[in-house]
Amino acid sequence: MRLLLVEDDSLLAESLERQLSAAGFSVDSIATASGASQLGRQEDYRVVVLDLGLPDGNGLDVLRKWRSHGVTMPVLILTARGDWQDKVSGLKAGADDYLAKPFQTEELLARLDALIRRSEGRVDSVIAAGRFRLDENRQVLETPDGEEHPLTGTEFRLLRCLMSRPGQLFSKEKLLEQVYNLDESPSHNAIEAYIRRLRKLAGQEAIVTRRGQGYMFNAMD
Amino acid sequence: MPWIDLNRSIRRTLLIVLLPAAIALMGAAWVIHGALLERMAHSFVEDRLREEVGFLRHRLNQAHGSVEALNTGAYFEQVLHHAFAVRVGSRQYVSPSSWSSLLVPLLEESRTGFIRRTGADGEISDYLAYRETFERQGREAVIVVAEDLSRLGASQRELHIWTAVVSAVLLGLLVLVIWIAIRLSLASVARLQAALKELQQGERERLDIETPAEFQPLVGQLNQLLDTLDQRLIRSREALANLSHSVKTPITAVRQVLEEREQPLDWDMRQQLARRLSDIDGQLETEMRRSRFAGAQAGKGAAPVSQARELLWMLGRLYPEKDFELETAMADEHRWPIEEYDLNEILGNILDNAGKWAASSVTLSLREDETGLVIEASDDGPGVPQEQLATLGARGQRLDEQAAGHGLGLAIVRDVVRRYDGRVVFDLSDSGGFRARIVLPERISL
Repeated sequence: MRLLLVEDDSLLAESLERQLSAAGFSVDSIATASGASQLGRQEDYRVVVLDLGLPDGNGLDVLRKWRSHGVTMPVLILTARGDWQDKVSGLKAGADDYLAKPFQTEELLARLDALIRRSEGRVDSVIAAGRFRLDENRQVLETPDGEEHPLTGTEFRLLRCLMSRPGQLFSKEKLLEQVYNLDESPSHNAIEAYIRRLRKLAGQEAIVTRRGQGYMFNAMD
Repeated sequence: MPWIDLNRSIRRTLLIVLLPAAIALMGAAWVIHGALLERMAHSFVEDRLREEVGFLRHRLNQAHGSVEALNTGAYFEQVLHHAFAVRVGSRQYVSPSSWSSLLVPLLEESRTGFIRRTGADGEISDYLAYRETFERQGREAVIVVAEDLSRLGASQRELHIWTAVVSAVLLGLLVLVIWIAIRLSLASVARLQAALKELQQGERERLDIETPAEFQPLVGQLNQLLDTLDQRLIRSREALANLSHSVKTPITAVRQVLEEREQPLDWDMRQQLARRLSDIDGQLETEMRRSRFAGAQAGKGAAPVSQARELLWMLGRLYPEKDFELETAMADEHRWPIEEYDLNEILGNILDNAGKWAASSVTLSLREDETGLVIEASDDGPGVPQEQLATLGARGQRLDEQAAGHGLGLAIVRDVVRRYDGRVVFDLSDSGGFRARIVLPERISL
């Protein structure tokens, strides 16, 4: 399995390269942002370990560049700053997981394993309805104005259901079935609250209410 | 009022507004006084003229229409100060005789009532006359009484000039009073400025001066800010001293071992070195985190709903098989007086903890009620034994003594919440999972 290691500390990079190789990866190691940006696009890696503080640029910019070029392999970012905002911006830029330095090699290997398993069979799938795009991997709704809105689990499932068949009417019962597990006992009010929230993101006209019947997604082409 | 810049100077604004206002009002009072004086004098003269006509008519009746009977010499003129002309039939009489050129034409006039003549040649240029006609035993009788207005006008003008002098003196006094009032009330500002200068030069530690009520909140806030800065300095010095103390020793140990050329590095030694480095990391992490917390501060706030959404989304990506839901009635833009980084630490740690332990779902609830600002995260995981709940994340416990997995994050949460005088309650949710409830005061106490 090919792995790209982007790390500028040579001592750490060499040690990691040895240990990752021993774990069965074939490792390409690079220390610069420009090199990483190019390699990531040219080669086909199974997984990437990306350090954020690089001598010639920020790892997040490299990641954004990859993602905007449709490079979809899972990326684990290494960061020395452990604050939450950093983690959020890392994941928003397209990372799949993060690990704070210092870390233990076993932890890194376990995370990489989990990432690879999670990404197996994963295809870059986007549901489009009109000018709305729902990124299934990232659970992000892109509205016509180009803005991205992160969604929580239920919001995402509800919207996926509605957006998969724009113009079709879904009753509240049908939506409840699609959205919730068996052991949960949500009410109709909960669905209404989620619809309100989704309308706030997508616009009032995007989700139409048919009184007494249900909801439908209006693609507005 | 574009010519008044309120931000420039209080003294300037007061002077610009009050001085012209005082002058204009005094001027207006003087003009009004003149107009009233004129009106009063006029109506007084008119009343007298009318009365005298009545008197003359009475006298004429008593004298059975004999015009000559009115000739009583100087007495009449001296008492009445007025000139008069009377004509009954073809006989007429004018007193005093110097007025005859003026009054005789008036006897021939067709109008009755008040007649004002100005600008006439001769000695008397401005006078007011009252003319009345009536029948007496078949003959037409005319009485005209007149008063020289120029004398009256002169005394009126004199009075008006005196009023002007008095007004000017009063205006001077008023301006003086205004100026003194401004000086007195702004003296406190000058005191404040002087105190600030002393503060800057280190001659003073606090603004402990008497100030008027308007400046008290300002001075209080400044002093509090100085207190906060002092405390922060003390705290960061202590933290650095502690850090340096606890980090230098393991660093020395590691270097010593590495510099011993003869001693081979066996596995046991390597593990000891690694443990020292972990200690250093732990100390660094703890102290850095402490100094990163802002704590309760005026002017700092964050929007909990949008922050929570981002964190929930992130955790949903990290744990794709679990659900992270938000329950709140608050709007995305709603703000809480909690510093953004601090709020992120609270939310991030309790959610991360819940995400780690949840079987399938995590619910975060944000609300405001009578107890304060409430953050509640519950999961459907295995929960924590009852006896451990109270000490979870408590101070004094070493990190490795904390319940596995729950410890560090919850210790951070306790640490931040304490800075805001808030409360942390750990208990079990309805589904038996773990629940963290944090209640923060609605208003920061400075």
